[in-house]
Amino acid sequence: MRDNAKGGALTEVTFYILLALHQPRHGYAVMQFIEEKTARRLALGAGTLYGALNALQEKGWIAPCGEAGGRKKEYAATPLGREVAARELERLRELAKTAEEIMGGGT
Amino acid sequence: MEKRYRYFWSLLGAQARWLDKMSDRGLRLVRTEKLLYEFEPCRPGEYRYCVEFVGHLSREKAEDYARFLEECGYRVWFKNVNLDWNVGKVEARPWAEPGGRLASNATTYNRELLIVEKRNDGKPFRLHTTCEDKARYYRAQRRPALFLFAVMAPLAVVLRSWPAGIFAGLALVLLIRYQAALAKLKRQGEIQEE
Repeated sequence: MRDNAKGGALTEVTFYILLALHQPRHGYAVMQFIEEKTARRLALGAGTLYGALNALQEKGWIAPCGEAGGRKKEYAATPLGREVAARELERLRELAKTAEEIMGGGT
Repeated sequence: MEKRYRYFWSLLGAQARWLDKMSDRGLRLVRTEKLLYEFEPCRPGEYRYCVEFVGHLSREKAEDYARFLEECGYRVWFKNVNLDWNVGKVEARPWAEPGGRLASNATTYNRELLIVEKRNDGKPFRLHTTCEDKARYYRAQRRPALFLFAVMAPLAVVLRSWPAGIFAGLALVLLIRYQAALAKLKRQGEIQEE
């Protein structure tokens, strides 16, 4: 994933995964969360989600949690992942504020 | 139980379409071996299929991925891409990721594909949905085709061997297909920001 960690710009997929994992969820629940929150505009394929979860684990933004023994593997955002998501929220607020100033809040 | 015998080699889309067609006829996959596909009755069109290449992954990663798909509610079967009945075979795969470069019958040899089944919900069955992820997947499939072509084409020319020529030709067809798919994604990527 081409997330710009320094500048805080995340892909939409990464940001939604981090939001979904503010509480522990397994892969299928993450897919459902994203579909529900975007009214099915963003439907992640299981292969894409698997790759994204692995990439975020490598970055230390999410981690497996709980005992997987026989149950579905769950993930949750790490403190670093929450911090990255919070920075992205700030960036989006600033972007929206600038856009509203220029566009007058209407579309 | 109904049995069918088919061989699709690396034509993953053709294999998935055939399984979809079988489902439309009311037949659901229950077991598969080298050439064999075994089906049980189901409601027509009840299931949809995807065929995924995992030959570039290590055994651990391929099994972890299969487990993840099962946790997402799909049924999964490992499938062979080649027809080879050897036991104890070891194959070098320079194009694979570390950990998957030496494939044997104990690891991913003859387990290069995953057949994935989901209950038909009316939506297209796609495992890869973002441009970047699709490009990564196509590149993973292009590498073995490129390797096969690079080995077989010189053999065909130097030894004037027609079997090597056939393999080189088939590899070239796959190469062109993946290259075209990547070029299409690149064009889309210029339009759709990720």
